[in-house]
Amino acid sequence: MAEFAAWVESTAISKALFGMSWLWPLCESLHFIGLCMLIGGAGLLDLRLMGMFRGLPIRHVKALMPWGIAGFIINAITGALFLTMQPHLYLTSGVWWSKVAFIVIAGANALFFETRLALPALAMDPNADTSSGMKLVGALSLFSWFAVLYCGRMLPYLGTGN
Amino acid sequence: MAFFHSLQNSAFTDWFLGSDSIWTYPTVLTLHTVGMAILVGASLVINLRILQVAGAIPLQRLQPLYRFVWIGFAVNLSSGLVLFVTEAADRVVDPVFYVKICSIVAALSFGMVVKRNAIDRSDRQPAASARSRFLAAASLALWAVAIVSGRLMAYLKN
Repeated sequence: MAEFAAWVESTAISKALFGMSWLWPLCESLHFIGLCMLIGGAGLLDLRLMGMFRGLPIRHVKALMPWGIAGFIINAITGALFLTMQPHLYLTSGVWWSKVAFIVIAGANALFFETRLALPALAMDPNADTSSGMKLVGALSLFSWFAVLYCGRMLPYLGTGN
Repeated sequence: MAFFHSLQNSAFTDWFLGSDSIWTYPTVLTLHTVGMAILVGASLVINLRILQVAGAIPLQRLQPLYRFVWIGFAVNLSSGLVLFVTEAADRVVDPVFYVKICSIVAALSFGMVVKRNAIDRSDRQPAASARSRFLAAASLALWAVAIVSGRLMAYLKN
C-alpha cells in the first residue's frame, strides 16, 4: 500500500493538485457541507425507520434522499481529491480503512433497505409502528454514518497515520 | 486583551493542547463536528421543506426536529467555548472568527422566525409565506458561510 501511495504521489496530477494551495481548504469546506447534507437528508429517514416521527409517511420523507445522495457524491469527489493529493495520509492509515469499511456497511445497509424493505415501508400505514427490521436498518445507518464522521475527524489523531 | 491572553496561556490550555490523550483536543474537536452535523443537518431539512423540497411533509410534523437543532447547538456551544478558550487571544482579533459567529447568530435567528411564522402556525396556515421562504434560503446560505469560515480559521491561524 505504501508503494502504491508513493506512486500516486509521484504522478503529475497529484503534484499539480497539491500545488494549488487553495484546493485543500476548499475541499475541506465542501466535505463538511456534504456531510451535513448527508446526515440531514438520510437522517430523517433513519429516525423515521427507527419509529420516531410517527404519522409521517415514509414516502414523503424519502423525497429528501436526493439531498443525502448529493452530499455523499460531494464527499466522494472531495475525498478522492484528498486521496490523490496526500495518498500516504490515508492509504497507510488503519483509521482511514475503518472509515472505508463503515461507508461500505452504510452502503450495503441502504441497498438492503432499497431491495428488501422499501416496498413494505412505503406501503405502511403512517401511524403504524415500524418493524424491528426497519428499526435495525435505520439505527445501523445512523450509527455507520456517524462512525464515518468519527474516523474522518479523528484520523490525524488516532494511530500514527503516516 | 490581557484576559484573553491569560486564557490562551493558562495551565488548562497547556494541558488541553499538549496532552497525548485523544480525550482532550481531538475529542472536543470531533464533538464540534458531530454537533455541526446534527444542528446543520436538522436545520437543512426544515429549511428545505419550507422551500418546498419534500413538500408533501406537513410542516407541523417537523416540530420534533427542533430538539435536534437545540441538542446540536448545545454540543457546539460548549465544545466551541472550550476550543475558544485555548485560542482566545488569536480569535478575538481574527475577523474570520467574527464572520463565523455572526453567521451562526443570524442563521439561528432566521430559523427561529421561520419556526414562529411557518412551523408553529402551520395548523392554520399550511403553506409557508414568501417571507419565510426567503428567510429559510438565507438561513441555509448562512450555515454554509459558518461552515466555510470555521474551516478557514484553521488556516488563518497565527
